[in-house]
Amino acid sequence: MVHYEALRHVTIGQYIPTGSAIHRLDPRTKLVAFSLLVLAVILATTYSNNILLLLLVLVLVQLARLPMRYILSAVTPALPIIIALALLQLLFYGSGSPDRPGASQLLLAWGPLRISTAGLRMVVVSLLRFLDLLFLTSLLTNTTTTSALTYGTESLLRPLSAIGLPGHEIALVGAIALRFVPILGEQLEAIMLSQASRGVSLEGRGRLRFIANTRRLANLIVPLFVDAYRRSEEMVLAMQARCYRGGKGRTHLVELVLVCADYAAMGLVAVILVGVIVIQYTSLP
Amino acid sequence: MAEKVTVVSRRCPQCGTSLPPGPLAACPHCGADLKAVRPVEGSLPPGVKGREVLYERGIRRIITAGLLLAITLLLSFTRVGFIPVPTPAANATIVHIPAIIGGILEGSLVGLIVGLGFGFASFMNATIPMFKDPLVAVVPRLFIGVTAAWTFAALWRANKRILYTCLGVLMVLGILSGYELSKQEKFVWLGMNLGGFAVGLAVVVVVAIGTALLYVWIRREDVRIVAMAVAAVVGSLTNTVLVLGAAVLRGYIPAGVAWMIGLSHGIPEAIISVIVVVAVVAALRQIGRGRRGARL
Repeated sequence: MVHYEALRHVTIGQYIPTGSAIHRLDPRTKLVAFSLLVLAVILATTYSNNILLLLLVLVLVQLARLPMRYILSAVTPALPIIIALALLQLLFYGSGSPDRPGASQLLLAWGPLRISTAGLRMVVVSLLRFLDLLFLTSLLTNTTTTSALTYGTESLLRPLSAIGLPGHEIALVGAIALRFVPILGEQLEAIMLSQASRGVSLEGRGRLRFIANTRRLANLIVPLFVDAYRRSEEMVLAMQARCYRGGKGRTHLVELVLVCADYAAMGLVAVILVGVIVIQYTSLP
Repeated sequence: MAEKVTVVSRRCPQCGTSLPPGPLAACPHCGADLKAVRPVEGSLPPGVKGREVLYERGIRRIITAGLLLAITLLLSFTRVGFIPVPTPAANATIVHIPAIIGGILEGSLVGLIVGLGFGFASFMNATIPMFKDPLVAVVPRLFIGVTAAWTFAALWRANKRILYTCLGVLMVLGILSGYELSKQEKFVWLGMNLGGFAVGLAVVVVVAIGTALLYVWIRREDVRIVAMAVAAVVGSLTNTVLVLGAAVLRGYIPAGVAWMIGLSHGIPEAIISVIVVVAVVAALRQIGRGRRGARL
């Protein structure tokens, strides 16, 4: 069943106000901490590293008072696929992992199936990593409003304007995109309704009608693009009429200020990153 | 990125005599230096004299990137972005198409930004571990818009002869690879045993027919549309190849599975990209006979 109204309510990382300490951090701190922790998660390939990181992330989620059930509910629809892929990886991986060479013993071999320690570690690590990243993105998006995120990104990119990277413009791109998602969603809904009222069925008519499905989808997408283009022409004129000059010399009404808690948080994250790298190079399992 | 440019109406600013057309270094009457003020190029409609253009290219790029990013996010987070295809791995995606269109319409920076947004949305939206890795979800997607932009920029003003030559080269490569394949003993693919010679012959036949059809199409169609189509194919293949390559390098899937997913997803996605991109960009830029309204 095609739910026409759902298009209007596309939400990206719903903001959940619980008033915790993490909510009160500067958005720049949260962005930097997020990037560093993601880096740490990417680098960690040993069991001990990943378990430590997972515990840490769980502590942070508790600190932010975010409901665990809500975060995990995003995963439940895809659980069968995850399990199937994990099983495939476990059974067919075989060769040694490029990160930690040597010592991959074969645990079980039966016909074309082979389970090795490297494969086992890869599966467990990627599952843990997946959970880590899920919680980290929730930590970022559920504790920060989109406008705060945009403003924080722009602020972080400001020093890059010295080498010619237009930080303000990029943040503006993000702001326009977020602002227009519900508008274009309404537009798409209108297009779908108008085509349905003229008798175009929007249910997929089975997979083999590939060309027909494509054509039907293109009939939706092309008007959407043309509409977006028309809006963009209007916006260009509006911005020119207001003498928009870009980010040079632009000042803001509300300035972001870093406080003690922000520095403490960033310091803590830096320590964690260093710790992960150190553990990575010792021989802990 | 600020480009404040003023148009000089064809009068000398010092003595006021009207100047002959064409670029001039000095006024023929009073000798004033005219190089200080240069005529604007590009975005003004013809016949308009003396209008200050405020940062137009920059604004246009920002807004195009923003709106295409909004479409990308919309397609990512609703079911509209997928087309069911008769292959084992269920769905072909059209979410990379705004990145390609951004690259074609406004250049590689816009393509890069929309591709970054696509990668980020894919990363946020992912529920399988493979796409929760930024190196697989985000980094390869940066190049979709960039390669599409470069391909389009290279081809849209090309001679048709250059295109025919490229087509000829592809045909030769196709026949050679068919010949190589036919020399191998046999293939095991999808559980069937295929003779090497049969596969090679099939490839050669497909290449020959494909080349003939493409030749007829290129001859008949506007060069810009051909350029768009090629850019769309390149962009879509960049997405498929780089993402699957990153997945293999990071060790998520073995190479054989990657090839299978690549062939079964990549080819329908490329075909869909060509159809949609050509329809959209031709409608927006009013190119091609019979395409003034969108034609599929």
